[in-house]
Amino acid sequence: MRSSLVRQVLILAALALAPGVGGAVYFRHKISWRSSILPSELATVDQAHAWGGNVIWVDARPDDEFASDHVPGAISLNEDRWNELLPEFLAAWSPGKRIVVYCSSLSCNASREVARRLRKEAQLPDVFVLEGGWEAWLKKKK
Amino acid sequence: MAEEEEVMNQTPDAQRPTFPVEVSAEDTTSNVKHRTNIIWRIIGFIVAGIFLYAGAIKALDPVQFASDIDNYKILPWPISVALAFYLPWLEILCGIALVVRVLFRGALSILIALIVVFTLSTVAAKARGLDITCGCFGHASQNWSFPSHLATNLAILAGLLALWFQSSSKS
Repeated sequence: MRSSLVRQVLILAALALAPGVGGAVYFRHKISWRSSILPSELATVDQAHAWGGNVIWVDARPDDEFASDHVPGAISLNEDRWNELLPEFLAAWSPGKRIVVYCSSLSCNASREVARRLRKEAQLPDVFVLEGGWEAWLKKKK
Repeated sequence: MAEEEEVMNQTPDAQRPTFPVEVSAEDTTSNVKHRTNIIWRIIGFIVAGIFLYAGAIKALDPVQFASDIDNYKILPWPISVALAFYLPWLEILCGIALVVRVLFRGALSILIALIVVFTLSTVAAKARGLDITCGCFGHASQNWSFPSHLATNLAILAGLLALWFQSSSKS
């Protein structure tokens, strides 16, 4: 009885491997196994500075953190008030501009999520996540 | 009156309406069993449908699902990616197994284990103050609150356990 149950579980677990591997092959260019962000979607502080005035900085941190300090000229766009803040951002955006999204540090997710939504929901090109986030920007400033 | 009694006494047993009454009782029992079976089948279909839908949505967008798993901050990124490719198909296969009643109890065991792990991860994330999207049903569940997320998981778990105990009593 128990061995039959274990056998059933193993069969199902093994059967799911094949389409899982198929999916991994099919989506291999859309996801990186090393980092949650594709290297082509990351930008360093130096890179962003090199782009000069062609960059729109997007602050994905909560409102209070944005209010206390932010990258000069940055626009606040966080997930808490997405619907409210998105029109303000879109009004500032123009085709050809690169968007660099940042949150607190290397480990935060907010910038990645905001960047993903800008690409998927707002259909915007050239959206990058700032490597190291606000902390990295502060370090370079010093 | 006495004549009537005499006629009754002369009537052979075979003509008395005892047999049809017994058949009717058996019919009733089998009807109840049939209806109960139908209800269990419906519960099975609903639970299977939930996992088929959830699995299909995630299989179509494993990138988003990997990101959702990563948001729980429990597993390293490469494992989140591997699970994002594997788990949706496991859910789909288990859903199919529930519908066609092949490897039925194996599928139930896997789904019960999965829903328990999902629920515990959600509670742990909430306890750690993480504000996450559950990722259970792709974008459809992106704005779910913690209580609705938990209630859905517990309802699915209840359905799975009911099916498990029903199949145990049968076997």
